[in-house]
Formats: sequence, structure tokens, C-alpha cells
Amino acid sequence: MDKVMSNKKVIALYVLPALLLILAIVYIPIILTGYYGLMEWDGVSPMTFIGLDNYQLLLKDGEFWNSVQHSLFLAVVSALSLIAYLLVALVLSSQIKGSNLFRKIYLIPMLMSSVAVAQLWLKIYHPTNGVMNSMLNAIGIENPPLWLADTSIVLGAIFVPIIWQYAGFYILIYYAAFKNIPASLAEAARIDGASPWQIAIRIKLPLIAEVIKVTVVLAVVGSLKYFDLIYVMTGGGPNGASEVMASYMYHKAFRGFDFGYGSAIGFFLLIICLVFTWMIRKLTATKENIEYS
Amino acid sequence: MRKTLLSIVLVLAMLTVLAACGNNNKANTNTEDNAKVPANDGAKVEEPAAEVAEDVTINFMHLWPAGGSPTQNQIVKKIIEEYQTANTNVTIKTEELENEQYKNKLKVLSASNQLPDIGVTWAAGFLEPYVKGKRFAPLDDMLQGNLNGKFVAGTTDAYAIDGVTYALPLELNIVPVYYNKELFANNNLEVPQTYAEFKNVVKTLSDNGVAPIALGNKDRWTGSLWYMYLADRFGGPETLKSAIDRSGTFEDPALIDAAKEIQELVKMNGFNKGFNGLSNDEGKAEFMNEQAAMYMMGTWELPNYTTNPDVAQEFKDKIGFFKFPTIDGGKGDLNSWVGGPGVGLFVSEDSKVKDEAKKFVEFFVEKWGEHSITEAGVIPATKVDTSTIELNQMYIDLLNELSNASNLTLFADVQMKPVAAETHLNMIQALFGNAVTPEEFAKKHEEALSAGK
Amino acid sequence: MNTANTIELQAMGASKSSLMKRIILGFFYLLLVIIAILQVLPLVWLFFFSLKSNQEVFTLAPFVLPNPPRWENYVNVWTQGNISRYFMNSIWITVVSVALTVLLANFVTYAVTRMKWKLSSLVLGLFMVGLMIPVHSTLIPLFNLYDHLNLINHPLSIILSYVAFNLPITIMILLGFYMALPREVEEAAIVDGSSVNRMFFQIILPMTASVMSTTAIINMIYNWNEFIFVNTFISSDELKTLTVGVQNFIGQYSTDWGAIGATLMISVLPILLVFFLLSNKIVEGIAAGSVKG
Repeated sequence: MDKVMSNKKVIALYVLPALLLILAIVYIPIILTGYYGLMEWDGVSPMTFIGLDNYQLLLKDGEFWNSVQHSLFLAVVSALSLIAYLLVALVLSSQIKGSNLFRKIYLIPMLMSSVAVAQLWLKIYHPTNGVMNSMLNAIGIENPPLWLADTSIVLGAIFVPIIWQYAGFYILIYYAAFKNIPASLAEAARIDGASPWQIAIRIKLPLIAEVIKVTVVLAVVGSLKYFDLIYVMTGGGPNGASEVMASYMYHKAFRGFDFGYGSAIGFFLLIICLVFTWMIRKLTATKENIEYS
Repeated sequence: MRKTLLSIVLVLAMLTVLAACGNNNKANTNTEDNAKVPANDGAKVEEPAAEVAEDVTINFMHLWPAGGSPTQNQIVKKIIEEYQTANTNVTIKTEELENEQYKNKLKVLSASNQLPDIGVTWAAGFLEPYVKGKRFAPLDDMLQGNLNGKFVAGTTDAYAIDGVTYALPLELNIVPVYYNKELFANNNLEVPQTYAEFKNVVKTLSDNGVAPIALGNKDRWTGSLWYMYLADRFGGPETLKSAIDRSGTFEDPALIDAAKEIQELVKMNGFNKGFNGLSNDEGKAEFMNEQAAMYMMGTWELPNYTTNPDVAQEFKDKIGFFKFPTIDGGKGDLNSWVGGPGVGLFVSEDSKVKDEAKKFVEFFVEKWGEHSITEAGVIPATKVDTSTIELNQMYIDLLNELSNASNLTLFADVQMKPVAAETHLNMIQALFGNAVTPEEFAKKHEEALSAGK
Repeated sequence: MNTANTIELQAMGASKSSLMKRIILGFFYLLLVIIAILQVLPLVWLFFFSLKSNQEVFTLAPFVLPNPPRWENYVNVWTQGNISRYFMNSIWITVVSVALTVLLANFVTYAVTRMKWKLSSLVLGLFMVGLMIPVHSTLIPLFNLYDHLNLINHPLSIILSYVAFNLPITIMILLGFYMALPREVEEAAIVDGSSVNRMFFQIILPMTASVMSTTAIINMIYNWNEFIFVNTFISSDELKTLTVGVQNFIGQYSTDWGAIGATLMISVLPILLVFFLLSNKIVEGIAAGSVKG
């Protein structure tokens, strides 16, 4: 068996096309990004080598660290919301009537493009005739919050559509994972007298631990490099109150014509994602892969 | 399952073959369309008065997509058609992008030195990196040749760096304050002549539940217009200008006073609620819905108050404009305007069809003037004889104001170099949002401007 | 179906605190329904939005149907706005990219999880890093690369980019699934003298039907709504996709919102359709899986 399963030719055939593709299209830009980060370059004139100056500047850049804070905040909120998705998926995967339909409906926001989602939420958050403030006015609140203009709440306000858009995605993944658990296991536990709650926590969750790990990484990394809705809805403002790393990078590179610095930010963002992924793996390393046959 | 798999693979194979065929077609059309392929263009075009007209293709990238800027888009199409009919060997291919995406793409293309033959650019600070990188061709020969004297005085200066002109302006804009005459009348208000009267107008409107000014400051440049007028009225036209070109300083008391005044206006609830989080379109909507009484915007906005068929005539009849009032003890006069040339056309320095492109630009600039008045209802940068054209009254009034203008101050974020411009815009948003003091505002500007980027 | 849970619920009903359980169940149900409504609202909103004129977009409340509804927005956009062409482009580019990505991802995941070779972890890691790159920092390097390959303004530049950037997440989703497949099937096949290829195509791949649908949907969503690559690498109108086409309606000084709404509605319909169709497949696939387990 081992001989068949370590047939080098087959492995190469299966892996090489994808690997070459990714090396060419993903890795070359990564390396170039790191390279540009060592340059002073406005994207148009010739580059000048300045070594690690950009990175040193980065470490001292208050606006950048502000954006890092916001990205981290988003990552934490995304990860925590996974708990809610787990619960919903748990309920869905039990024999609730219409779970099929629910599951489909929950994924709808993710099907819509960021442009549509942004427009929708802009209308919801509109200070005078938005859905939120109209409702608040109706119940007597005179000066409802200015969701996207008030720097103290804009970050929270913009996290809502971001989280909301991806809810269906994670619910779908957890649902598929729960459904994959053989019924016999839960059955056996029930016969032993376990309550549904105990079955959920002690049996089901550990069995999909691998999947949970994957989603945590996805949620954290996705949040760290998130760009779309921030850019369209607030442009990172007002005054940087909702800036995240990716939007800051975009501003520096494309608006500020400082492509060297922008690249340094991009590369740094990549490193941060790597670090976090490594941390998450380390923290969850004790869980083993469970195979059931 | 096997059958499904087989069919998937078959479909894939078919699609790949299709894509490959598409490749061939694209390759063929590319060689025809791509102006970079030397085969039949290139060297021969250099010959003066070439008898044998070679087939030439010019790539023109602009920011007037058919859906969003229909009038300008039509004008471009018409001019292209006219030119192609008169010059049958020339084909002009256009690529149309929306404003933000246009700027984005221009950057990317420029980085790989793949700019289109002709494109659209803004003046001064925007232009500079491209000039530094030798991407734009100098166009002085055209200015001294057929286009001599055709431009409104001063408009081409903004497109010149070190005395060489790198683009030719198409648009010219000034910024009045549009106002709703009915809302004013309902509140017993007259057009303010002085700033003190203006603040009274603001207070009265606010007390009576009408948003005095419509503003969407998410994009930041809208708030910058207000600041620029205050800076001008306090310190005169030279103060801001010299602060930017580094012959003066931004920490000039007049500029700080202007910043203080902005925060004063915000405190008085002079602007619609939540303005700092609203886009220009959303801010404008407050004015169009008659929730706000005043709106400061460029003359490009005129069609909405004059000719646009989608806007109700009764609304259009209610709209007038006034000049930003003077400040007691300030140095700016009533006829000093914020405004200047809008977008212009450049020719790529590395274009393989440079001469043909320049010829077309010349033709375009001249034709644009006439069309933009009659069809778009906006002001062109070229001088046009308006005596024979029937024009809307507000348009005529603004044209007259333009010819009587004592000074045009170009938009600050265009005057400044890109990094400083970004700082300026961010500071504007911070100022309006009360996140910085006027002194910090000035200091940050001074730092950014002295960094020289 | 999932007998364990059915029995659970029946048992729940029969026990002494059945009323309490009923209330909890009812509560969960209510919650699920509320969430479902919240997720569907955006579609409803988009539909109304697409029927408004430019002024009504700002004057009318979000959930009010304009009178008269402007169906001409759709007609205009399809005929004059060139949307029909963008639509076809979006379809074929998405289909090809998704098919290619899913196929290659399956190859790689299989090789990494089931075949024995020393570099498997390294290669997997290489793919995972692809998840962490902020897209905007790759624009200029990729443009340069494609330019040298003469692929600018060619659909391949888009397809290759989509495949390369979606491989990591697709592989990630497939990972958990592949790792849980029982070994006996392969052992049996090898004993029967089957080659790796045969085993993969005839036995393993069919077993992945359920998770294939999931990955197909996710890829489809990303590719269909993708914007920045098309905007950067494609210049001629004939090759543009819907997401870029929407931008046509944003002018230098004003925006045609009704047209944007109609375009967004048109662009969300195919995805909704495919999603609902594929969703059923997931259920079938999972049903087949659990019965076996």
C-alpha cells in the first residue's frame, strides 16, 4: 500500500499544476511587495533603495498602529461571533422543521456583492431618514446616534454589516460538519442518559474541532486583511476612526502615491497574519484529529 | 457519479479550448487594436505631411462612463465620430472608467509604463508625479501653435511644471453657494452680503428647523471648499497660496482663524446632521429634497438647476446662487473665487502614435468647448463665443462672474502634492469633526507641506 | 435521516418538563425566524431600490415600493448599459474559474492528506500562506507579470488570478473532509489492484460530493462579485464583468442609482439560482454520507 501511496509521479501530477500556479501568481507578488517595501517609490518615477526605512517608519506611525488596533478588534469580534454561529448551526442540524430553508436563507447576504451590502447599510445608518434612526425617532429618542459620523461609534457600527455578511458562510460550514457526524455516536450517548446539551458540548463539538480551528483561522485572517466595506462605507473615516490595515495600505499606496510605504504595510500585514495563524495553531495544538470509521 | 465526472471534465476541456480560441481571436484583435504593435504604425507616422496615410489606432482612456456621465460621454462619442470621419485612417478606441477606479488604474498603468495614448488628468499636485516620472508629453508646441490664445487666461498654468505644459484643460469651474430662494423667503432671509449676515442666516434657519447648509464630508474635499473660502476671505488669495507653495507658512493667523470659524459653524449646527459620515451625493440629496437651504458646489452642478430633465422644474426655478460673503476686516474680496481648471487631457510620452494623438487632442479641445456649453451646460476652459447660443440665465450670470473674477484659487487638494493633499483632506475631516484644534490643524499642514511630498 | 436527533426530540416531548422544553424550542424557533427575516430583508430592499428613480432613491423610505415602479431601469440597463454582455462574461469566467479551482484543489488536498511524502506539510503551508495576502498589494506586481506574458486585457489573467487566490481557502475547506475519510476504502482498492488515479476519480472524488458543492458555492460567490482584478487587468468593454459594469453608472459628478440597483439585482439572481440548486445537492450528499456512517 505504501508503495502505491508514495508514487512520486502521481504526487507530482496532482500537486505541481496548482503549486506552480500559486508560486507564480501569489508568491511573486508577495516577494515583490516585500521588495518594493525596501524602496522609496511613488509608483511612477524610478525607485530608490532605502533599506528598512519604510519599516522603521511603520513602527513609529501612530495612524498605522491605530489601524492595527481596529483590525485586531474586528478579528476578536469575528472570532467571538463564531460561538453564536456554532449555536445556530447546532440547532439547525437537529431535526427542526425547515432547517433546510433556514440554512439557505442565512447565506443570502453573502451572495450579494459588497457594493450592494454597502449601499443597503448606508441607507440603514443614514442620520436622518435611515431605518435605524427613523425607528429610534419613532420611539421618542430625539437625537439618535450618528452612526457613521460619530468617531466613537463608527467602528462598532461598521462591524455589524461585516459580521452579518459572513454569518451565513460560517453557519453553512458548521452545519455541514455537524451533519457529517454519524448519528450512531449521539444515539449511543443518549441511551447512556446524556442530555442534548451534554451531547452537544461533550461529543459534537470535539468531533468538529478541526473544522472549528479552520474557521477560527479564516475569521481572524479574513478580519485582519479586510477591506471592502470599510472602503466603500466610511473610507476609513471620519478621520481614521474606522481605518483598518488594508484600507490604510490602500490610502498610502494609491492615494498618497507612496507605493514603497504602502508595500511595506502590505508586507507587514502578511507577517501579522502569519504570526496569528501560528499562534492559533499553537494554542489549539492539543486537539488531535479524530478519525471515525 | 462517473458520468458526472466525465461530463465535468469534458465541459472543462471544451471551455479551455474555447478560451484558447478566444486567445487567438484576442491576439489577432490585439495586434490590430493595440497601438503598441509596430507593424504598420510607429515609425512612419513621424513623416511630415505623409501622403500615404497609415492606419493608426489611438487608445483614449477617460472617466465619463455612459451611465454616470451621459452628456459628457455623448460629447466624447460625437467628437470621435467627427474626427474619424474626417480622418478615415484613424481609429480611436476608448476605455471608460468611473472616477475612483480611473485614478486607481492610471496609477497601475503608469507603474508599468503602459499608459494609454491619451488620458485624463487633474492639474498641479496630481500631475506632478507623472511629470517627474516622464510619463506625460510636453504640449507647449500646441499651445504656441493652433491653440494659441484659445484658452481662458490662467487655465493652462495649473498644468505647467517648470514652465512646461503637460496637459490641456477641458473644464473650468468656479464654486458659488447655491441656495433655495423659497426656503430663504419663508424665513424672511435675504442673500447675505457680509459674513456676519451669513451667520445670521445660518442661525435663523437652524432655529427654524431647516438645515442651513447641505454637506457630505465623507469624501472630505467638500468641506475643503468651505475652508478655502474662509481662508481667502480672512487672509486674501495670497495667504493660502503661499502657504502651499512654501513661500509662506500655514501657521498664518488668517488660516488659523479660518479653521476656528469652521468649528464655529459646526457648533452652530450650520450643517445637516451627520454630515461627516455622508458622501457628497447623500449631502446633496438634503439640498435637492429641500431639507437644507444652501449648498456650496462647483459649476459642474449647474445642469441640475438648469437643464437636467430628471429634476422637477419647480425645484429648478427655486434655485439661485450667491458669492461667498466678505468678512469684516478680512483681506479677501467678493469677486475672489475658489475654482480653476478641472480635468485636462494628456498625451503619453511613450505613446507610439504621439503625433496623431496630439492632433486629435487639439481637435478634441476645440470641439469640447462648444459641445460642453450647449449640451452639458458646464463651463469649458477654452474661450467660446456665446453670443449666438441661447443659454440659461444662471449660466450666463455665472459666466459673467467668471469674467469679472479677481482671482481663482485652485482646489487645495489639487494644488498640493499627493501626500500633503491626503493630510489636508484628513485634517479637514478632523476639523469638521472637532477632533483637532485650529492650531493643530495648521501645524499638521505645515509639517506635511514642509515634507515636500 | 438523522435518527439520533429525532429520538432526542421525541424524548424531550415525553419527559416531565416537556412544557419547559416546548417553550425553549419555541424560543429557538422564533429566534431563527427573526434571523431569517433579517437576512432576507436586504434582497427585498435591493429589489425596491432597483425600481426607484434617482430622486426617489433619496426621498422614499427604504422599504416602500415606488409608484410607479420603474421597470425601465432594467430595460435600460440591459440594452443600453451593455449589461447583457457583462452578464455573459461574468458567467463564463466564473464557471471556468470555479471548475478549475475545485478540480485542482481536490488534487492537491488528496495528495497532501492521503499520499505519503515528506514535503506534504511544507507544500500545504505554502498554499495556506496564500490566504493572507491583501489583494491590493498584488495589483502592481501582477499587472507587470501579466504584461510581460501579454495577458493584459485577456480573460486568462482573470481566471488564473481567481484560481490562484481561491485555492487556499478551497483547500482549507476540503482538508477537514479529506482527513476524515476512512482508510479502508483505499486499502481495499489497492488490494484490488487499482492505481492511484483510478482510486481518486472513481472512489474518492464521488465521496466528496457534499463538500464539493460547498466549495463550489464559495468560489462562485468570490468570483462572481470580484471587482478589483477585472478593473485592473481588463480594459476593453467586451471583456468586462458585471461588477465592473456597475461602476459604469457612477459618473464624475453624479450617480445613476436606479441603474445601479437594477444591475445589482440582475447580478444577484444567477447566484441565488445556482445556490438554491446546489444547496439541495449538499443535503443529498450529506444524507448519503450519514447513512454510510
